[in-house]
Amino acid sequence: MNLDPGILARTQFAFTVTFHIIFPTMSIGLAGFLAIVEGLWLKTKDEIYLQVYRFWLNIFAMGFGIGVVTGIVLSFEFGLGFARFAQFAGPAIGPLIAYEVLTAFFLEAGFLGIMLFGMHRVGKNLHFISTCMVALGTLISASWILSANSWMQTPDGVQMKDGKLVVINWWHVIHNPSWLYRLPHMIAAAYLTASFQMEAAEGFWEKQSSSPAPYYWLIVPDQKEQRNRFALGTPYLGSIWLAHSIHGRGEGLKNTPRELQPRMAMVFYGFRVMYCIAIVMFGVACAGLWLRWKRRLFTTPWFLRVLVLMTPSGIFATLGGWYLAETGRQPWVIFGMLRTVDAVSPVPAKTLLSTLIAFVCLYTLFMTAFLIFIGRIIKRGPQEIGTQVETFSSLKHAFRLGVLDKKTLESTGGAR
Amino acid sequence: MNTPLFSASLVAFALTLYVLLDGFDLGVGCLLLFERHERVRDHMMDSITPTWDGNETWLVMAAVVLFAAFPISYGVLLPALYLPVVVMLLALGVRGVCFEFRTQIQDLRGYWDIVFAVGSAIAALMQGMILGAMLQGIDVKGNAFGGRVTDFATPYSFLCGVTVLCAYAILGAGWLRYKGTAILHSFSLRAITTLIPIFVLMFGTASVLSLRVQPAIVAVWHQDSLWLGTLVAIMLFNCLWLLSAGRSRSDFYPFLSALVLVAAGVVGLMVIIFPNIVPFRIALWDAASSSLSQIFVLVGACAVIPVVLGYSFFAYWVFRGKTPREGWDA
Repeated sequence: MNLDPGILARTQFAFTVTFHIIFPTMSIGLAGFLAIVEGLWLKTKDEIYLQVYRFWLNIFAMGFGIGVVTGIVLSFEFGLGFARFAQFAGPAIGPLIAYEVLTAFFLEAGFLGIMLFGMHRVGKNLHFISTCMVALGTLISASWILSANSWMQTPDGVQMKDGKLVVINWWHVIHNPSWLYRLPHMIAAAYLTASFQMEAAEGFWEKQSSSPAPYYWLIVPDQKEQRNRFALGTPYLGSIWLAHSIHGRGEGLKNTPRELQPRMAMVFYGFRVMYCIAIVMFGVACAGLWLRWKRRLFTTPWFLRVLVLMTPSGIFATLGGWYLAETGRQPWVIFGMLRTVDAVSPVPAKTLLSTLIAFVCLYTLFMTAFLIFIGRIIKRGPQEIGTQVETFSSLKHAFRLGVLDKKTLESTGGAR
Repeated sequence: MNTPLFSASLVAFALTLYVLLDGFDLGVGCLLLFERHERVRDHMMDSITPTWDGNETWLVMAAVVLFAAFPISYGVLLPALYLPVVVMLLALGVRGVCFEFRTQIQDLRGYWDIVFAVGSAIAALMQGMILGAMLQGIDVKGNAFGGRVTDFATPYSFLCGVTVLCAYAILGAGWLRYKGTAILHSFSLRAITTLIPIFVLMFGTASVLSLRVQPAIVAVWHQDSLWLGTLVAIMLFNCLWLLSAGRSRSDFYPFLSALVLVAAGVVGLMVIIFPNIVPFRIALWDAASSSLSQIFVLVGACAVIPVVLGYSFFAYWVFRGKTPREGWDA
């Protein structure tokens, strides 16, 4: 069998990045959600929010853990698979990622411990600050990594001197032409992915569990509030943003020599997958809003079932988008500067194949365990709350529900 | 301005912190294999769970600064060390997710603990083998790795691997004495007194062998004999002191002594490798990226690292004192 190291290195990189990106996408959204919920808890002093926080914190911790360990792999992988790319682009991309580590990874890691285990060791406010710091870290991280990747799409601020890449303007490297179009798009995608997953979990849990309904009624609205805010504004705009830039490149394609054209199938389907999911999400969001308006949102089984089906939608849309961006740039690894075939490491194909298999096996194990774990948590539901809720008087609950309902309606009205 | 030297110091700083901090994490992981009671293993795990993530970030920091400031060496070293690096990454990954799996999937906790311990041990062993492979020399052609991917696997690099494994386990034992309640004292003491003789033997053999494997190290010994001699003396002194750690009244000093022991070793290795960045082949000035890239990273590092150290210290301070026997949620 004749194996091509270039293809294998790309497959390995694609696989590890694909797997990795799922988890930060989730944790960006979940961290923001957790910060909001804890803030609400501090503001309203309502224990329900704390229980919601605890419930989602477990899932967040697991996803974050997998994100961290698969992310460490990536910081080495530039050199493992693409040594010449690393040597060529290190002066421009390296510092961006160094800043990501400095300003984001340490921030997340430093406060994650307090967020997960420090509830009894620090004051409530300090704990809330820790949650916010972790959420902020995930956003900063996304900004840097998008900056680095956008630079590969639209390199700027550099010059060639004696065959070496020399940075002449850092502001242009960071603030390269496509960065500000792509960053909000990715962050919106992350929030969407997480909120669709959360909704599905709620829907799923609703079907599975017979715990007291008041809990369910109480937590979904605030989560809804968040979803509506993001879902309404972004899939639409985001797609137009990227569609716009795709259009720009699409026109240029005819002028590109055939051997420099990307593989159109991947680009085409990547874009279609992302776009279709965005439209379906938009539809679901609208249906949700309508049902909410009719006050039937939490009692309409078919809609809850749709939400369960939509669980991985955010992930697929995100992946579709990334495949579009990455394959659309081929055969370049840095657009117009370095071709992918010239970037590969001097590592034999058999070695690459064996490590690729190892990565696939191990990551499959991670994913399986992660899904089993999430399934268990969701099935179990926030049990503490059951006992907690029952200690409250039901009258008080009914009252609070009304207040929350009104607030939710107001805010969705605002979003519209 | 000699920016590559500053960047190299940054890499060295991050790497030293990584070895010291993740060293005790990995060490505690290895020691988990030797504790039979699940409750005690829980206690050992609880002592490292809140801070392991930050410790590991220093490895990413070192790798990324190498990528940014010395792209040539990053592109030579990683293909040369391809296999041990990938195995290390996989092991670190398995071990990282075990932190959560073992708390969430409780019926399989015994198995997760074995996986965690073996993962930690493999990661430590691979880090040692990476060190060994660097010391024995890397085949460089032009600006690329010119050897075979299996070059790293020699008895010498394996010996280095076991030495590093021992060193981490000593750090871990010191940490358990420092953070663990009384139930861990005798365990920690037994671990230290068993491991120190093994470590001295391994370290001595590896040191003597390295003079035969790599002639450049002989030259360094001639040139910097005072420096290296002092460092070896510090290491031996701490080994001797740790052997009598049972008599120490303080629970902190054994850990401090283990830290000094390992730090002296790390500094010694840096004295040997300096001024190269790909050991004995490429000097750090020849592997450096353009000065604007260096300055950009250094400015950021100078501004942000004090803050990072500040809140990292704060994170440790929040979890100061002995680890609660019932875990952090109690």
